[in-house]
Amino acid sequence: MNPLLATILADDENVRHRSLDSVCRDAALGDLLAQCEELDAFRRTSDNLYHRVRALFFLAAVYRYHIPAKLPPRQQGLIPYDGYNQLLARRFAEAIDSFRAAGRQQPPNDALASALAHAYHALAFQTLADQVRRSVRTVPGNQWMFRLGHPADQALRLRRELVRREPGAPYPVLAEQTAVRMDFSHSAWSDIFFLGMDFPEGARVLNASIDLGVHGRDPQPRPPIETFLRVIDEPVLRLVSVDLQTTSTIRRADEVFDFARDYNGLLKAAVIAAGIVPPGMEGSDHDIHELLSRVVAPGLGLELVSQVNGIPKGSRLAVSTNLLGSLISVCMRATGQVSTLTGALGEADRRIVAARAILGEWLGGSGGGWQDSGGVWPGIKLICGAKAQPGDPEFGVSRGRLLPEHAVLGDGSISAATRQQLQDSLVLVHGGMAQNVGPILEMVTEKYLLRSEREWQARHQAMAVLDDIVAALQQGDIRQVGSATTRNFTGPLQEIIPWATNLYTDTLIDDVRRKFGAQFWGFWMLGGMSGGGMGFVFDPNTRAAGQQWLADQMPAVKRRLQSALPFAMEPVVYDFTINDRGTWAELRAGAAAAMPESYYLLLAPGWLRSETRSLSPQTQAELQRISSAVQDNGAMAARLLERMLPQATADQTRDAQLTALLTKYGFDVEQHEQIQADLRSGRTGLAQNRLSTNATITDVRPDDVVDAREDASRRIAELGAAAIRHGEVAVVSLAAGAGSRWTGGAGTVKSLHPFCRLGGRHRNFLEVHLAKTQRVSQQFEAPVGHVVTTGYMTDEPIRAHLQMHDDYGLAGRVFVSPSRSVGLRMIPMERDLRFAWEEMPQQVLDEQQQKVRASIRAAMIDWAKAAGESANYTDNQPLQCLHPVGHWYEVPNMLRNGVLMKLLQSQPNLKYLMLHNIDTLGADVNPQMLGVSIDRNWTLGFEVIPRRLDDRGGGLARVDGHVRLVEGLALPREEDEFALSYYNSMTTWINLDRWLDCLGLTRNDLGDAAQVDAAVRRMSRRMPTYITLKDVKKRWGHGQEDVYPVAQFEKLWSDMTALAEVDCGFLVVPLRRGQQLKQPDQLDGWLRDGSADYVTELCAWDR
Amino acid sequence: MHISKALITAAGPDQHTLPLQRVVDQRGIERTALQLIIAEVLAAGVEEIGVVIQPGDEAAYRAAAGDDVERLVFLSQPQLRGYGDAVFRGQEFVGGEPFLHLVGDHLYLSRTDRPCAAQLIDVAKQHACAVSAVQATRENMLPFFGAIGGRAVPQQTGLYEVTAVVEKPSPTVAEQRLVIGGQRAGYYLCFFGMHVLTPGAMAALGKVREQSPPDRQVQLSEALADLAVRERYLALEIAGARYDIGMKYGVLTAQLAIALSGADRDQILTELVELLAGVAGAAS
Repeated sequence: MNPLLATILADDENVRHRSLDSVCRDAALGDLLAQCEELDAFRRTSDNLYHRVRALFFLAAVYRYHIPAKLPPRQQGLIPYDGYNQLLARRFAEAIDSFRAAGRQQPPNDALASALAHAYHALAFQTLADQVRRSVRTVPGNQWMFRLGHPADQALRLRRELVRREPGAPYPVLAEQTAVRMDFSHSAWSDIFFLGMDFPEGARVLNASIDLGVHGRDPQPRPPIETFLRVIDEPVLRLVSVDLQTTSTIRRADEVFDFARDYNGLLKAAVIAAGIVPPGMEGSDHDIHELLSRVVAPGLGLELVSQVNGIPKGSRLAVSTNLLGSLISVCMRATGQVSTLTGALGEADRRIVAARAILGEWLGGSGGGWQDSGGVWPGIKLICGAKAQPGDPEFGVSRGRLLPEHAVLGDGSISAATRQQLQDSLVLVHGGMAQNVGPILEMVTEKYLLRSEREWQARHQAMAVLDDIVAALQQGDIRQVGSATTRNFTGPLQEIIPWATNLYTDTLIDDVRRKFGAQFWGFWMLGGMSGGGMGFVFDPNTRAAGQQWLADQMPAVKRRLQSALPFAMEPVVYDFTINDRGTWAELRAGAAAAMPESYYLLLAPGWLRSETRSLSPQTQAELQRISSAVQDNGAMAARLLERMLPQATADQTRDAQLTALLTKYGFDVEQHEQIQADLRSGRTGLAQNRLSTNATITDVRPDDVVDAREDASRRIAELGAAAIRHGEVAVVSLAAGAGSRWTGGAGTVKSLHPFCRLGGRHRNFLEVHLAKTQRVSQQFEAPVGHVVTTGYMTDEPIRAHLQMHDDYGLAGRVFVSPSRSVGLRMIPMERDLRFAWEEMPQQVLDEQQQKVRASIRAAMIDWAKAAGESANYTDNQPLQCLHPVGHWYEVPNMLRNGVLMKLLQSQPNLKYLMLHNIDTLGADVNPQMLGVSIDRNWTLGFEVIPRRLDDRGGGLARVDGHVRLVEGLALPREEDEFALSYYNSMTTWINLDRWLDCLGLTRNDLGDAAQVDAAVRRMSRRMPTYITLKDVKKRWGHGQEDVYPVAQFEKLWSDMTALAEVDCGFLVVPLRRGQQLKQPDQLDGWLRDGSADYVTELCAWDR
Repeated sequence: MHISKALITAAGPDQHTLPLQRVVDQRGIERTALQLIIAEVLAAGVEEIGVVIQPGDEAAYRAAAGDDVERLVFLSQPQLRGYGDAVFRGQEFVGGEPFLHLVGDHLYLSRTDRPCAAQLIDVAKQHACAVSAVQATRENMLPFFGAIGGRAVPQQTGLYEVTAVVEKPSPTVAEQRLVIGGQRAGYYLCFFGMHVLTPGAMAALGKVREQSPPDRQVQLSEALADLAVRERYLALEIAGARYDIGMKYGVLTAQLAIALSGADRDQILTELVELLAGVAGAAS
């Protein structure tokens, strides 16, 4: 039997849980392809969801890892454009059919394998997501909300206690306080819904509800989440997020579904998930008062208020899920959907609140684990996946239920003394990093479902650690708890996901261990990834010192690493206590029926600026109450005044800094204004980046390239080796860019990002490139210089970093080439935003995420119009307003800033430069590649690789008969790219003298700045200018981040190939040499497919 | 089981004048709602009738009862402590026997030859237990009724063992606790305003009343929920319809339903058509 199928269908657990690697390792290519055919047929007909999903994951992994490894070196193929479009439209099944049909016309190749891997992977996740969604909808108690489509059908009624009031008194306020949850064992991600439903036995979590306070700021810990609901005397739905300083007044039912219009998306999701405006009403054209007149009473409305007491995002304590839970709970209490109006919730009520929170997260396009609403429950509880039983909607579909079981461990199980000891030992912190854990969740899901050997073993180890933690808590041994959580972190968690840790976390742990020795009992990873919310367990006698030390030292470590790692905020140390009552509500009536002070500080200024007669009687009464309150409370009066009077803003300082930076980095005002004018007039823009539609674009012919994928002749290799030995080669690493794709526009220095553990420690991109140069230098016993080009954002951090690490052993041979040009970002044109979002092919997202994205984009277009299209973008940190102007400038900059002269002085025999992107980790000074370039006497020799699905953004083409590289944004038609076999790796062998000749210069002219400037300017004018849109993050509040699309321009190095007088050649190099690591979600595949090992072998580490 | 007494509740603060409303019956004769309810009871073979009213309402009720006034025993509910308390006021009157109970603000129309109350009594006698009349009701009407959860009695049409009773449930609670196999999605079995109650039900009501603080309304549903776990308790889907004359346009709807099933059907239909044509003409 087909071993892949046998693994899926086996009754024997040993066979069913065997890894895919063990099955594929020794299979021949032909056999593997035949087995995939059978597996594909099987997944089409199987009616068992988990068999289907496993088959899809198997197919994805076989096409991603196993088939490429068995392909002959010289292979290439073309991905059909139709299939690509189907992928974008999420029509994955059709895409698979298109790719398979193409596969019947082409020999096996990496291009189609990559496309099939992607499509199978996406279909597997879509199948799982659909199942979770179906389960959420079919949970009893949720179904009715999807049937209800008209206000007249609304059956919810507000409890009368909330509508009744004494004459003249305010409406009562229902106030809910909710804890957040702390995960003891991290759960090894087993709380992902898919995994709990696949292997409920392995889905176990111990989590505690905790109250929090910021150490040094709050007098004592308290439930961090507070939500409030009350009736108002206007027939509207008013949503107020006090911590995000946002108020939404909703007048039409459909507005509730516009999640991203403002910051109140979570409150809207809660209103929907609580059934007040049920999901079935999406798209209905009704005024909200029609609904509210039934739920509350004619003429009245509802107000929902949330307040998170200064707990920043990324705390790994599931603040947003518990906030959602709290909001849903207060709404469900108010509408009689749970049994109690006040006090604690019963178990059945907590379960329906948790089910609704899952629904709310799905509606909002986010997603938490099933343990995340743990703050709704009291104390410490063991949460376990549950097998689906007859009668459950999941029965017969998945092995596990959507919702887990919660068992609260009372004092009998974990004594009060142990709870106290835990509080006396553990220091909770937020390290300040905020990272997107989404890619990690996908990686874990895939690894678990594939039963990958190491990860599967690690998962079982993590399950054993959970048992150890529970046992240690029952024995009252906190030191053992610390030991177990540390073991968990250093063992299974990093075995499953190496990126669970990072340099920052490792540094902190090492520092704490050095400082406190045996008094430091362990590290406690709270969830997702480290760097944000984390715990340190100390001997109780040392805890206070440890807490203070962390408060002092975390900011220092952050400052050291902040250019390399994405920090969202200053680190914070918490005080915490275990919350033993779970979510809790009280009804405040009469004089006590008030909102929190922060609510009035937010809303009262607006009321005071309005005409009194335009305010509702209720609001007028509130103002009178505020008036009395401020007479008794001078501090409140002061805070209110502070809100109302204009403040000296930070804007002025920011403007001054920005101006200084522009001057410093050589901002060209004239060029900027010209580009702005061109943008406004429509002479430039995204559509104008493209070549003429008349251009004939075809794939290159075999003799247009030199295939260097197999060993070249000895003569060629020796040619290169001799040049290296003779000191004729140096390396140029392009490191001026901000690497916005790597951190989603966070503005860190990508080249310094310690992205992976290689050779036993975290290494950054720059270190890897220098280690390769070191290895070449040692191997050929020759000096190889290394230039690092920098930009306004990367220059100082790179210099400081190199100095700190003594140039990684290349002292005297590393040259930093600073930028001589910088751009100022602009507010994008609506026309360009629409072109990018409406006319360019787009990846359609999952249903709800798609809605959220549409809503965000509408808001962004409004923002661009309101802020002034093409105006300077200055509403951010100054460095986030600047932009690098493209890598074309980085090579001429070496001439203008004198670095090339210095390099020539240091290495007088220098003839060739190897230029490469910072993310092309496999590029090294390879004698074979160099030999080809020397042999052909090219001015510029560009390395290209056979295209795979991810390699988007242009390629090598014949444009009207001329062989050149074309950027993706210059291709007139999207489909043109899919006819091109090769993708540009950007690695270029530059023949220095011939290139200077193209500029009209010789080595002797390099000292003449005026002549060099004139030459560079001459060539610059001939280079096309592209307008691009980039995402830039704007940080605010407590770790909040907004992402804005901004316009900037750039000139690109690959356009050198368009100049007729520049003699360019093209080498096809192996994938591992030319592939680029652009996004963190590529890391896992990069590590698994042998690429990391390949790069490690090229390096000679300094330490 | 012998059922000789019926108890009608008509003391609710918003409902106590409803039985006094006048409607035209199926024969075209103008009568009060109270008379129609009494007729329903008599047709089921029950001749002793207690009516729970607010103090001071007796004269009006006597006037509204017509020829059957002498059959009635008026019972007073001095404090407005809710529907359950009103039923409990009939404790002495029913004297430890099973009894038929109807609310005073509903009118009934049977789809068969047997009147609704008679259908209910037939089943109660057959099974010798408490039976509530129920009707499949769409979930948007849940805020107005008590509803039951349970399971179908095998080999019986429209008969259910009651396991749960919730007064005016939210749809969330209804979906979690009151879904009954065989019903259309989004439909629940809600009370019809007509029950045959046993002494056990009256005892449960007494207990609920005793345990409730004086300022809290006593609900019959709470007692019935208790009854469901103590003794056999059935629900019968009645072949008929109930009309709550306390709802907005309730009297109008009930009147139309009665008239359309009676002697004046053609006249009413004609007038409706003319009315519709007039409205349509005015609109255009």
